[in-house]
Amino acid sequence: MRIFLTIVIVLVNFILQTTLLPYIAIGGVMPHTGLIIVVSLALLRGSTEGAWTGFVTGVLMDVFFGTSYGYYALIFLLLGFLSGRSQKNFYRENYLLPIIFCSLAVVVYETVIFITGLLSQGDIHVLYFLVRIMVPETVYTAIITIPIYRLLFGINEWLELKEKYKYRLF
Amino acid sequence: MFAFLERHKKIILTSVIIILAALALFTSGKKANATWLESALGFVITPIQDVTTGVGNWVDNTLTNRREQSEIVAENEALREQVASLQSDINRLQKYETENARLSSLLRIAQKYPQYDSFGTTIIAKNPGSWYDVFTIDKGTSDGVKSNMVLCSAEGLVGKVLESGATYAKGQSILDSRSSVPAMSLRTEDLGVVKGDYTLMNDGLCKMEYIDAEAEIAVGDEIVTSHLSDIYPPGLTIGKVKEIKNDTNGLTKYAIIEPAVDLKHLDTLLVIDNSDVQAQNEAATTDQTTNTTDTTDTTNTTNTSNQTNNQTINQTSNTTTNQTTNQTSDMAPEEETP
Repeated sequence: MRIFLTIVIVLVNFILQTTLLPYIAIGGVMPHTGLIIVVSLALLRGSTEGAWTGFVTGVLMDVFFGTSYGYYALIFLLLGFLSGRSQKNFYRENYLLPIIFCSLAVVVYETVIFITGLLSQGDIHVLYFLVRIMVPETVYTAIITIPIYRLLFGINEWLELKEKYKYRLF
Repeated sequence: MFAFLERHKKIILTSVIIILAALALFTSGKKANATWLESALGFVITPIQDVTTGVGNWVDNTLTNRREQSEIVAENEALREQVASLQSDINRLQKYETENARLSSLLRIAQKYPQYDSFGTTIIAKNPGSWYDVFTIDKGTSDGVKSNMVLCSAEGLVGKVLESGATYAKGQSILDSRSSVPAMSLRTEDLGVVKGDYTLMNDGLCKMEYIDAEAEIAVGDEIVTSHLSDIYPPGLTIGKVKEIKNDTNGLTKYAIIEPAVDLKHLDTLLVIDNSDVQAQNEAATTDQTTNTTDTTDTTNTTNTSNQTNNQTINQTSNTTTNQTTNQTSDMAPEEETP
């Protein structure tokens, strides 16, 4: 059930992100909803599930938009895994941490893409990268994190409640 | 009295008939005012008639109203339905109209390159993020789309197919920073390479690099694909020069190109099947003479159809000879970053 639901969430997000998201772009900057979902799920469920979610999201990106296999899958997997490491250390009801983590994840993600672009093409536009891509995208993603995290939090609570009854854990 | 009447019934009847007949005969054609008798009779009867007629009319009206009301309601409903269906017809036809305009403009471009097979397709998804401009189109290998086919719209070049799945294909637009298209200025024939640049991508612009410092390229020049490519057919419109800047090395300059196609708002595309041409190019190395005539033909058609100003007509012959020599002497490889 949980696996099924996670895959559905990732797929629906991918479809929406690639078709409808450009409509809410501000100055060409879009929030990276896929990244938000990976990080949020990792924070809610731990590094293993975060890594899996990241892997699926990354594979989708690779298949439909990548030029090499495994590039996005690796980035997303690592981001999911690393943000899942801190799962035990905070209260899930708190919104501040997911926002910080998602923003950090966007910074890391964009920097990695920037560096690979730099290595393969030798374009150096650091200022443009910082001012026009990284900062606005981080801010926009941070804002969009709130509703998405709330939604995932609710779904997770519901699932955990169901699982509790199923396995008679109390 | 009654007995008398009864006895002389026949005579009375006959005489009354005769009198009436005579009266009718004599008074016929008389157009005068009513006599006092008639007036008196009228005075009594007409009001009653009035009332009766009024009542009759009222009853009749009420009945018809009742009937008409239901009729009108039904008619109204029918009209509403008709309006709705007509409205939907209008919407549908408007959709057809825009689609028709789009498709016929695509057909025009298809006719511009009659030597290539081509077919229409639609963009269904776009790469999220601000780095690369990759999109998915709704045709794949099952429709004959292969990698390195060229994507066009009515206005000009859009990009190429990166990779093709069974029912979809990945396209890369010319704004993508990994894309590079050998290009030249139509007016001055200065060569260069149009590359995407992510700092310009969000403004829908791209860059033409490696232009010779001596080149006479000017702002407003039309940039087309050059003949130095294995992928892109020559003469496809790319865009116009917006700005020219000198490189720091002083040997070359670069131009900011404004693509002819509005790449930010694009949905219908044309896939140009250039595999025949690619095969031809490969065959050209072995059989040069046939290829020479072949390319002369194709360049002629593409160039003449592409012309927008008179200036270029004079150049056609130049271009043709130029290209022929180029095609035969050096089969320059595609300048593509790995």
